[in-house]
Amino acid sequence: MIARVAWLLARPGSAGAAASVLPVTAFGIVTALLLTVIGGAQTFWTWTDDDGILYQALAVIALVLLVVPLVSLGGAAARLSARRRDDRLATLRLLGGTPATVSALAVIESAVLALVGAVAGVAVYLAIVPLLGLIEFRGEPLGASGVLLPWWALVAVPFAIAALAALSAVLGLRQVVISPLGVRTRQEAPRMHWVRAVVAVVVVALAFGVMSVLQVAGSVIVILAMLAFGFGASLAVLNLVGPWVIRLVAKGQAKRAKTPGRLLAARTVLESPKGAWRQVGGVAMTSFMAVFAGTGVAVLDALGTGGDADSEVLMADIRTGILITVIGSFLMVACSVGVNQAAGILDRGELYRSLDMLGMPVGTMDAARRRSVMSPLRITAIGSAVTAAVVMLPLTGITLIVAPASLLVIAGVLATGIGIVWLGLLSTRPVLVRAATG
Amino acid sequence: MSSFVIEAAGLSKTFGSTHALAGVDLSVRTGESVAIMGASGSGKTTLLHCLAGITRPDAGTIGFHSGAGRVEVTALSERERSRLRREAFGFVFQQGLLIPELTAVENVALALMLNGMPRARAEEYGRGWLAALGLAGMEDRRIGQLSGGQAQRVAIARAQVTGASVIFADEPTGALDSTTSSEVMRALLDSTTGQGRTLVLVTHDAEVAARCSRIVDVRDGRIVGERVPA
Repeated sequence: MIARVAWLLARPGSAGAAASVLPVTAFGIVTALLLTVIGGAQTFWTWTDDDGILYQALAVIALVLLVVPLVSLGGAAARLSARRRDDRLATLRLLGGTPATVSALAVIESAVLALVGAVAGVAVYLAIVPLLGLIEFRGEPLGASGVLLPWWALVAVPFAIAALAALSAVLGLRQVVISPLGVRTRQEAPRMHWVRAVVAVVVVALAFGVMSVLQVAGSVIVILAMLAFGFGASLAVLNLVGPWVIRLVAKGQAKRAKTPGRLLAARTVLESPKGAWRQVGGVAMTSFMAVFAGTGVAVLDALGTGGDADSEVLMADIRTGILITVIGSFLMVACSVGVNQAAGILDRGELYRSLDMLGMPVGTMDAARRRSVMSPLRITAIGSAVTAAVVMLPLTGITLIVAPASLLVIAGVLATGIGIVWLGLLSTRPVLVRAATG
Repeated sequence: MSSFVIEAAGLSKTFGSTHALAGVDLSVRTGESVAIMGASGSGKTTLLHCLAGITRPDAGTIGFHSGAGRVEVTALSERERSRLRREAFGFVFQQGLLIPELTAVENVALALMLNGMPRARAEEYGRGWLAALGLAGMEDRRIGQLSGGQAQRVAIARAQVTGASVIFADEPTGALDSTTSSEVMRALLDSTTGQGRTLVLVTHDAEVAARCSRIVDVRDGRIVGERVPA
């Protein structure tokens, strides 16, 4: 019986094909990016010389940095898949479907959509493997065979993604199961405590102190431990204080807003500062790392490698790695934003339609929703970069003197990343136009 | 000068193979309250949407009489109709369809801000309308913190605040209990026809329709009767 109902629900509904196409596309992007990241990194594990270990360590850092926005994107795709079906499943519950039936349907639908998307993602990955193989490390291209994952990985990843999507669907649909009406009520906007800011200042000051005495450390292990503390503590602070800062800025913007677009954008962020942070938070780590590692490489570069060819290659590779990680991270955030925005527009379709009836130009609605993403993104990217610059102040200062162009390059890369996210937002405009004008 | 604020003639509208409107003529006088009644699928909401310039009919004409003369609604572009709705008409929907992130007064002021009024002044007007509708002290509450009836009164304030000459309401009491429905209808009528404005509403509810000055019955996309409530 469940299979028959699942098949019935799979047919296009009032939301049109978008209800199925969007999650499938999102899961496709997640899979393609995941395979690309793992495929690129696997090459490093084929190197067994002394430098190979260093490359593997750097690859692990890059993977960790990329996994955060990837998990966020995966979560967004799963939530989208589940939310598209909320209404129908809630209706089914009203008609007498048991919680077990509704849960089973959620699992089946989300898993099937995820699986279809993931298989498409594998195809996309296979198509771009030749391009990935052109990326140079250690003075030569990685090669298509180097970045191509074994067949069992290409089979396992889609099933793993489908399983995670099913799990996310079950968790996301608890509300529908508990309450047949599936009502989402919005009451008071969440508040956050200023103590977060105090903790953040103290931790950043500590990290700055630790980084300042780095040169007097006695051994490599101590230096690594201090670097890890500086990096880890600062990132923890960014996560702690990010939503709070976003809320604070949005509150000011809401008070000062003079146009409908600005008012709507600020209030949208205030509705869920944590949600706004979740959407763009992945950029915080990347932006932080771009400045943290970028300044380090720039200083080493400026001081010279003493004509050592290996060191020059290593420096070039680290720069390539940073560039790929930063752009990859922004790409995932852009996809995540696109998926979240498309879901949000479909969820609020009736409201957008009513605003159009009232005579609100679609351009105003679009400007409001773009601002509600771009403002937290700018705060996150710039705030993280400034935090890294403060923690690394001695190095940032030296870079400013000996290699000012490298700081411009870092700023340029971050600006490009922000531009990618903006493009992601732009791609969802047709969904809004369709929702508003029916 | 015509005493009609809206004059529609020969309106037809087809969605696929469904004839939502099949040659409707309807004129609405200034200061009148007209209830459009009919079963689901009879075409009453399509008629309301055509009169309000939301939907363009396939055939027929709609004239809107403003201080500046007659405006041919059907001849306007999408952008011009959008502007007409923003400046000359007000809307109240069944679910209110207010913006949940905004406070009550911001929801009302938004309608004026869209017409270029500075926010402080728009909120001042908004507070005045909310107070007039019995919502003094609730201006800074978010929509989720209001009851259904209160939210619907915010929607009425939003529809009125621009000084709209015609208010279109689609099942404005459809989601309310009978007591609240009665209160909301009183607020709607007091603030429209009570102020010399025009109200055109779509309803299933005979009690709601009975409070209007004229009832228009629609069936299969045609007007099949008109009556004045007893």
